[in-house]
Amino acid sequence: MSLGYHPLVKQLLDGELSLAELPPELRAEGAEALRLVGAVDRTPVVLSPALDDRVMAVVRRHAASRTRRAWHWVTAPRDVELRLRLRPLVWAGALAIAAGVALLLLRAPAVTPVPASLVRSGARDSVFVRFVLYAPGARHVALAGTFNQWDLNAAPLARAGSSGVWTTTLALPVGQHQYAFVVDGERWVADPAAPAIDDGFGRRNSMVAVTIRGARTL
Amino acid sequence: MGLAGDATDSEVVRAVLGGEVERYAVLVHRYRDRYARYAARMLGSLDAGEDAVQDALVRAFDRLADCREPDKFAGWLFLILRNRCYAERRRRQREGRPLDERDDAVAAADRPDGTFEQTERMRALERSLTHLTPEQREVFVLKHIEGLAYDEIAGRTGATVASLKMRMHRAYDRLRDLMKEHL
Repeated sequence: MSLGYHPLVKQLLDGELSLAELPPELRAEGAEALRLVGAVDRTPVVLSPALDDRVMAVVRRHAASRTRRAWHWVTAPRDVELRLRLRPLVWAGALAIAAGVALLLLRAPAVTPVPASLVRSGARDSVFVRFVLYAPGARHVALAGTFNQWDLNAAPLARAGSSGVWTTTLALPVGQHQYAFVVDGERWVADPAAPAIDDGFGRRNSMVAVTIRGARTL
Repeated sequence: MGLAGDATDSEVVRAVLGGEVERYAVLVHRYRDRYARYAARMLGSLDAGEDAVQDALVRAFDRLADCREPDKFAGWLFLILRNRCYAERRRRQREGRPLDERDDAVAAADRPDGTFEQTERMRALERSLTHLTPEQREVFVLKHIEGLAYDEIAGRTGATVASLKMRMHRAYDRLRDLMKEHL
């Protein structure tokens, strides 16, 4: 049969009473109780020196896979079929759906920084191509390319929330196009997610191939 | 912002969330040992405690965006570690593997300055702690090993002082029963 400590002895263990404050008949029980809690081992526990490296190795992997997931989300094909021969009313509806999808894409939260990228939405003669650049410190980002005669003002990117991601969606004709991002009106940046080619003037341009099946970087 | 080691938790958390993943090493280094004793005592083994701390630090990184008060990162990390310890105990119970009461990594080592009787009592207490409920064990560890007051334990765990005292007083009775040959 177990015998619990007297409530006053428990107060002693809690530090609310001293041994001298206990009634004489409880002092032996109190002394025993103090031996019990006096047996605790308060030696500091020091973990392996390698723990920091192990944690950081996992953290780096998780950070990379998070970026990959965000990247996959951005680059996953989302087809929007625009049927050019439809009657005007249906055509307007299709456009509204396309605009809605584009809006959703733009408003979706970017949980981690993502590299620049593009996604596609297919149409019969042109394709909506979404361009994305992660530039958290930028004040202005534009897209210039062969499709807009390298006009710095023709295709500004919009900031997607406060995540540092800038995006724009353009309808590009079928064919191959060279492009680059222009940050703050002066810094030309090739798409980090696409292979770049030398433009013959010391700059690097990215390439995108647009077909009726979609768009892909070259 | 100061040097990495001088930066506040809040500054480091914001930097990591801003994409500076390597800055997380500051928090890892800062907190790796702070809760190690708690984890080791809760799980009855140094190895299990180390696994729990490692896992908690990784989980904290994964959920860092949920840390609403970055200046209270330490308390937030403790809650993650605490959940991890409770989950580990539940998992072991499901698998029929109770805490290892033989584990000598946490149990008192032989002390040149201690008597045989004291050392035996220390080991007996470590073994006895494994027989408490997780809640009783936690309040005992936090009060008598970590040296926290009831109101501090309440602040960390979210329990009321009254319920903590009730758990502790039951733990005293249970420990007295388990330790009767050593007192």
